Amino acid sequence: MQYGENIRLALQGLVDHKFRSFLTMLGIIFGVASVITMLSIGEGAKREAIAKYQDLGVSNIIVRERSLSDEELEEVRAKFSQGLSIQDANVIEEIVPGVERVASQAEKNTEVKFDDKSVKSTVIGITPNFLSLMNYKVQQGYFINEKHYNERLKVCVLGAGVAASFFKGEDPIGKLVKIDDQWLEVIGVLASKSLFTETVGELAARDLNTDVYVPLSLFLNRFTRDNILSSEIQQITVQINHSDKLIEASKIIDEILKRHHFNNDDYSIVIPYELLKQEEKERQIYNFLLGAIAAISLLVGGIGIMNIMLATVMERTREIGIRRSVGARKIDIMSQFVTESVAISITGGLIGVLIGVVLSLIVTLFTDITTFIKPYSVFIAFSFSVIVGVSFGYLPAKNAANLKPVDSIRYE
Amino acid sequence: MLIEIKNLKKSYSLGENEIPVIHGINLHIEKNEYVAIMGPSGSGKSTLMNILGCLDTASSGHYYLNNIDVNTLDDDALSLTRNREIGFIFQNFNLLPRLNAIQNVELPLVYAGIPGIERREKALKALERVGLSDRLHHKPSELSGGQRQRVAIARALVTNPGILLADEPTGALDSITGVEIMRLFDELHKEGNTIILITHEQEIANYAHRNIYLKDGMIHSDQPNIKRKELS
Repeated sequence: MQYGENIRLALQGLVDHKFRSFLTMLGIIFGVASVITMLSIGEGAKREAIAKYQDLGVSNIIVRERSLSDEELEEVRAKFSQGLSIQDANVIEEIVPGVERVASQAEKNTEVKFDDKSVKSTVIGITPNFLSLMNYKVQQGYFINEKHYNERLKVCVLGAGVAASFFKGEDPIGKLVKIDDQWLEVIGVLASKSLFTETVGELAARDLNTDVYVPLSLFLNRFTRDNILSSEIQQITVQINHSDKLIEASKIIDEILKRHHFNNDDYSIVIPYELLKQEEKERQIYNFLLGAIAAISLLVGGIGIMNIMLATVMERTREIGIRRSVGARKIDIMSQFVTESVAISITGGLIGVLIGVVLSLIVTLFTDITTFIKPYSVFIAFSFSVIVGVSFGYLPAKNAANLKPVDSIRYE
Repeated sequence: MLIEIKNLKKSYSLGENEIPVIHGINLHIEKNEYVAIMGPSGSGKSTLMNILGCLDTASSGHYYLNNIDVNTLDDDALSLTRNREIGFIFQNFNLLPRLNAIQNVELPLVYAGIPGIERREKALKALERVGLSDRLHHKPSELSGGQRQRVAIARALVTNPGILLADEPTGALDSITGVEIMRLFDELHKEGNTIILITHEQEIANYAHRNIYLKDGMIHSDQPNIKRKELS
């Protein structure tokens, strides 16, 4: 018997019993839809995390000033620590093996003004190698270079958000903005960055698009600090040439800083790559759980198919007898019924994929959960449903094939 | 010789008891014979028909069909034999309700592995033969009893089998339609088909050329039908 005939028969059967077929498929539909949705949520979370840590630089070690209260700050200074300094950065660059680059940055929260507009911003003094450490992109103009730094030129690069609120449709390059009592020329604008919504160690959540970058030399020379006790710089970013050396390097950095800060615990070290790995591990357990739940629902769907198919075989005993009497072999009957259950599970799988995709879109639209559907996950869910169809269709099909022709033809 | 049966026995096990149904039958049927097998209910005629039709196998003895011992065949070979050599016609027609007339007639050809176009041609010819070329796309539920039986006869004819095996073919029909069906059998016989008719009605058996009476699982009598009804 030709296989095409079986498929035609099976599809005909589905159409003839639309409602029953739909009920039979329901388990598979929900199973596949939940697999796809769950995998898309897991994948979305993964991509979000990778993007977040990429912003911090996956080959970086970030040494950050610990935020201390005024009393704690006085105590630390009394114990001879000057806080993070350019000197620290220089020592790290000299001593720690595997260091590619070291960048220092000083920060100040203040207002930036242009014309009659003003924006609350974080002004960051940076060294020219900052851009090569961070995963930032310049949208317009160019970034602060050696010349600006060495000559303490009064220039600045704006975050996308600041530029947008000052210059609507205007070209920001060459305009003068005022920070504290200093007039600075805008030389570049950074590309817009996603919101940094999660606090990582001492790195507080904030909108990176409101940052304004100036040469560190200028910053230290021209801007007054809010607190005279605050340290020279707020962050040292250390780029390591190999991710395997991150932990080792961070230990050495800790040793050096401990000595230079006289054992004062006034800094913290963050390794974005290690945090990424850790988060991934946690998520793996979570993903496994989601996968298990989805697999169970597919299994239940399969049992549903088996149930209906067993009932169908009973109901169609006479049909089986007729087919046998005109020459159908056991294998013909068997493949007819297996094809039917596969047709049910494939159709259910397709509907499930559709619903899963729509559900993922709905999740993204109505919550702040990011989802991402990988073609691979669609393939997995779909092939799973086919496997369910074959394996749970097998037993009923075997029952059908093993009916004795003489009994089934006379079955009332 | 088409059919040769030697000391055939069949018994069913009911719990621990063996209930014999056929006690030892010897029978020869030649090609192009028209035989009626008769007997009261419980005489074993249905069981004999199942065995003749390869739907069931004997408990002991031999059944040679075209000189092949059917008792030695496995399930696949029996299926093939049913497909090639036997055309069943049942009392209750046994058509598939979801298929239309032509699809029902095509069914044996599907299992014979004959491609679609050829299948359709043969099914058309068979339906024409039984006078139903105007009802090709009707479902069984849209046909009268006589028309349904004609579809079933077309299905039996379509593979050009060695034997037409009819089990009470007029049992579900009114007498006028029954006569029409019997006339069709007569024609088919004249065209060279071998027909074995199972019935409990003498009236129907009278159309055959040879009458075999079964009683208590044995052949009670086997003689040419001298009172044969001629149909014009």
